[in-house]
Amino acid sequence: MTGAPAASPPLRSPAGSRTGRLSRRALVGGGLALGTGLLAGGLSGCSTLAAGMAGAEVAPGTVTYWNLFGGGDGARMQAMEDVYRAGPGTPALQAATFTWGNPYYTKVSLATLGDAPPDVAVSHLTRSTNLAQAGLLTEITDDVLAVAGLRAADFSQKAWEAQQVEGRSYAIPFDTHPFVLYYNLEVCERAGLLDSDGSLQPIRGVDGWESALRAAREVTGAFGASVATIADPATSWRWFQSLYSQRAGSTPWLGDGGRELTYDRELTLDTLDHVQSWTQQGLMPTNTDYAGSQTLMFSGQSAFYLQGEWEITTAQSIEGLEFGMVPLPVLYDQPAQQGDSHTFVLPAMERNDEQLQRAMGFVRSMLDQSITWAEGGHVPAYLPTLRSEEYRELEPQSSYAEAADTVVYDAPAWYSGSGSTFENIIGAQIGLVQQGLASPATALESARSQLLTYANTPSPL
Amino acid sequence: MTAPTLASPRAATSTSAGPPPRRSSQARSAWLFVAPFGLFYLLFLVWPVAYMFITSLFDTSLVRPGFGDFVGLANYREMLTKPEFWSALWHTVQFTLYTVPPLVVLAFVFAVLANQVGRGEWLFRLAFFVPFILPSAAIALIWSFIYTPSTGLWNSLQAALGVESPSPVLGTPDLAMIGIAITTVWWTIGFNFILYLAGLQDIPREVYEAASVDGASRWQQIRSITIPMLSRTTTLVVLLQIIASLKIFDQVYLMTGGGPGISTQVLLGLVTTTAFTDYRVGAASAASVLLFLVILLVTLVRQVVERFQQRKDVTS
Amino acid sequence: MSTSSLQENRRRSRSSGVSAAAPPLGAGPSTAGGDRSGRVFNVVSWIVLVVSAVLWLIPSLWAVKTSLTPNSTSALGTGPILRDWRLTFESYATLLRGGDLWNWYLASAVTSVVSVLLTVVLGSMAAYALSRLQFRGRKLVFLLILGGIMIPPQVLIVPIFQELDVVGLLNTYWAVILPQVPAVIVVFVFKQFFDGLPKDFEEAARIDGAGFWTTYRLVVMPLSKPVIGAMSIITFVGVWNNLILPLFVLSNPKLITIPVGLATVQGSFGQRLSDIQASSILGALPLVILFLLFQRRIVEGVAGSGLKG
Repeated sequence: MTGAPAASPPLRSPAGSRTGRLSRRALVGGGLALGTGLLAGGLSGCSTLAAGMAGAEVAPGTVTYWNLFGGGDGARMQAMEDVYRAGPGTPALQAATFTWGNPYYTKVSLATLGDAPPDVAVSHLTRSTNLAQAGLLTEITDDVLAVAGLRAADFSQKAWEAQQVEGRSYAIPFDTHPFVLYYNLEVCERAGLLDSDGSLQPIRGVDGWESALRAAREVTGAFGASVATIADPATSWRWFQSLYSQRAGSTPWLGDGGRELTYDRELTLDTLDHVQSWTQQGLMPTNTDYAGSQTLMFSGQSAFYLQGEWEITTAQSIEGLEFGMVPLPVLYDQPAQQGDSHTFVLPAMERNDEQLQRAMGFVRSMLDQSITWAEGGHVPAYLPTLRSEEYRELEPQSSYAEAADTVVYDAPAWYSGSGSTFENIIGAQIGLVQQGLASPATALESARSQLLTYANTPSPL
Repeated sequence: MTAPTLASPRAATSTSAGPPPRRSSQARSAWLFVAPFGLFYLLFLVWPVAYMFITSLFDTSLVRPGFGDFVGLANYREMLTKPEFWSALWHTVQFTLYTVPPLVVLAFVFAVLANQVGRGEWLFRLAFFVPFILPSAAIALIWSFIYTPSTGLWNSLQAALGVESPSPVLGTPDLAMIGIAITTVWWTIGFNFILYLAGLQDIPREVYEAASVDGASRWQQIRSITIPMLSRTTTLVVLLQIIASLKIFDQVYLMTGGGPGISTQVLLGLVTTTAFTDYRVGAASAASVLLFLVILLVTLVRQVVERFQQRKDVTS
Repeated sequence: MSTSSLQENRRRSRSSGVSAAAPPLGAGPSTAGGDRSGRVFNVVSWIVLVVSAVLWLIPSLWAVKTSLTPNSTSALGTGPILRDWRLTFESYATLLRGGDLWNWYLASAVTSVVSVLLTVVLGSMAAYALSRLQFRGRKLVFLLILGGIMIPPQVLIVPIFQELDVVGLLNTYWAVILPQVPAVIVVFVFKQFFDGLPKDFEEAARIDGAGFWTTYRLVVMPLSKPVIGAMSIITFVGVWNNLILPLFVLSNPKLITIPVGLATVQGSFGQRLSDIQASSILGALPLVILFLLFQRRIVEGVAGSGLKG
């Protein structure tokens, strides 16, 4: 298993100063042994060595917690972890962050399979159902919730019901993060899009949307609205799915656990047509990536920015930017937007009561700090926080909180969910449509044939 | 043109005193000595190969016990008709094509020149060879940083040379594999450099002196003496490089994760994603078998070429 | 292996392999007599080489420079890094205090050392038997081992993972050590070496009544120091640098080896670019030290004959 090809040494008879070579080897060998001994003897080295050689538990009595929060969310989560640590008599916490998406879920899965999972892990709701079906999660029964003084009714019913698998619960909802609309106050004011108290006038219908974009473009000289189109299949998917779900009669993309592609072809093509026409008309950019699309709005080259609510922290950090956030305008028939929820899950392992208590104690602490998390833009799924005065006064978060009620989760399938192969495949095609590099029909056909391979594959779960 | 050989390989035995141990006790010792290694060999080389072939015929899942249902050649059919498989195969070949020529030619040039100037070898060895012993993860971090979009060293250099808004190397589908190839050439050239240096030092100086007395220029000498005499090394280097390139995993996993999209995903990356992310061991095994067969083919070619060259040497 | 290949190996390794000393002057193309074109050639060679060497050193030096720059500056880009020459060790301090890095060092050290011990001992034992003893099935065993060279271990990552899962060895150092022990190349190299070793000492030992094991331990192995050295180094570096195996069989952040640790750093360090570069330097450091100590052995090992991969 070497990374480079090995080769043989010259085959000559032993020669040269044997003592010289010996003493150097002895020195290094002794140094290595000494070094290993020092490491093993130092700090936690001994227990790590024991764990490595004999499979013993590395740090008994601690809570291990894995998440996939980078950037602003990551910093916020670390602050919340510190609050937990500061609590009186709390067990030690070992937190680790891994790269968002498939790499994270692969790590969690392999760790659970290898009997060394974290006590608590974060999971997207749409991925937790798959993990549960794979037998990798501990069931969250009422008793488990009671350990931390929680009940099922403490959580947003939409999220609670969505996380269930065959009537059983495996995930504790933490937040819901829908796709929302950010707007640049200054640009919108100049474009006459604000109402008397300085908030965005409601936009309805495709015509309303387009005229708003045109008005905005007059002011910006560049674009009306911006959303990522390059190297960001997740965002492309979210944008499309939000629009598609607003249409009456739009069926879920996948059916029967992913075994069938059940999207409505006409509605899909029509929605993609609209998406492409907006970029072709120059109302929205054709070539911009995740960072670029937000910079356009931040710098006033676009009135609107479309993304999940989590970018609120970034927007707030821009000097001189005044912005607002609202749920996605209803361009078609019904309010809807794509979204997902972050949940806490308990990976399957042999757990005694103390371990369960420690794990749930940590979860409870995080839920109690939901308001801090909400400051990062997420809509709390923990009802005590969602209904609190404090949250209601949080602006602009509370202006889009209702989006959590009409959020549309990705259809359940073993290859679906946030950051999944499904999103990568279809998102890539939608990106091409946005960039004008493929027609809706071609893109749909390409996505369809790629997805059919997965649909026709028996689920490994 | 070969140098005189040393004494025959089988050392002259001293006058043996006493009869050699009986065959049966020889056999016992032999098996005792071979068994430990043999055990590991069976457990971690032979059995995995067998397991790989077997599971490729089932829809084995990582999260379900047992082999799963027998599906015959369905996994192979899936792989051979899946665009992701062919693109992974193509990217693997693409990587090989991007890296083997520079790794062979540049190493040769550097070695010839280094051999020529004679001094300062420590500097060249340090510069070219040290990267080779570093872990792939370290060099991936170093080069990912260099390739940082807009502000990284690479893009900054391009901007300084007048390129307007240089494209991000690892984020542009057409450039990502080139970027990985450049990193790989930087990383592993030392190996070939050393091989060529060794080969060069085997060429006796009398040959060059004779040629120069005959009026051949340096360039002609290189062309008519150095290159042909190193053809053996070159063949080995090329074949070795190809085999190593087919097994590529580290740099792609670390620098692009197979992206953007799947534009840099290689076969081994596809195998591990299918097995460990999609949980589909059976399908991954089918892909592994296919990759294994390709590598086996090239390895066999190498063995044949080597044997052919040996025979040529013996008869010449 | 046929005698001709042995002769081959002998010849190829005759003069030196690559030594630390400079090669004999003029071992390349030469010009007898008239020197001007020769001098021009030399100068051009020098320039090309030095420029190339400098180019090759730049990425490492850039990493070092960045690691000595404050995180806030390196986040801004190349220009600011080049302009900011306040050298600081804060990145290194963070990493060395952090604790994770030490666990990575421990994991890499333990797995590499134990692998080397097992591989060299077991491999040389098998090679010795194959070289010295006649027994039924000897040819078959040797052919099997030869065939093993053609099996690329990385391709077997999935079955090996499952195997380790079944016996419950995942997330232990053994998961990294055991699959790397059957390094067929080691057996092959040792056997070639033993084949070429004069049997005089062994005969003498046998006369003195030493058994096979004793002969192996006290007579043959001490004579094999160069091979042991070379094989140990190659195995050590190979195991140390292995990424794909520990990446999938070790999930516990406390048990991962250096390459796997470095692989997770980009996700968890976020925008602390200096810290990231410092971690790559620290991750590479043990091997660089090893190289500086054992340069000759390493280079000889690599440059030797009978290349197999």
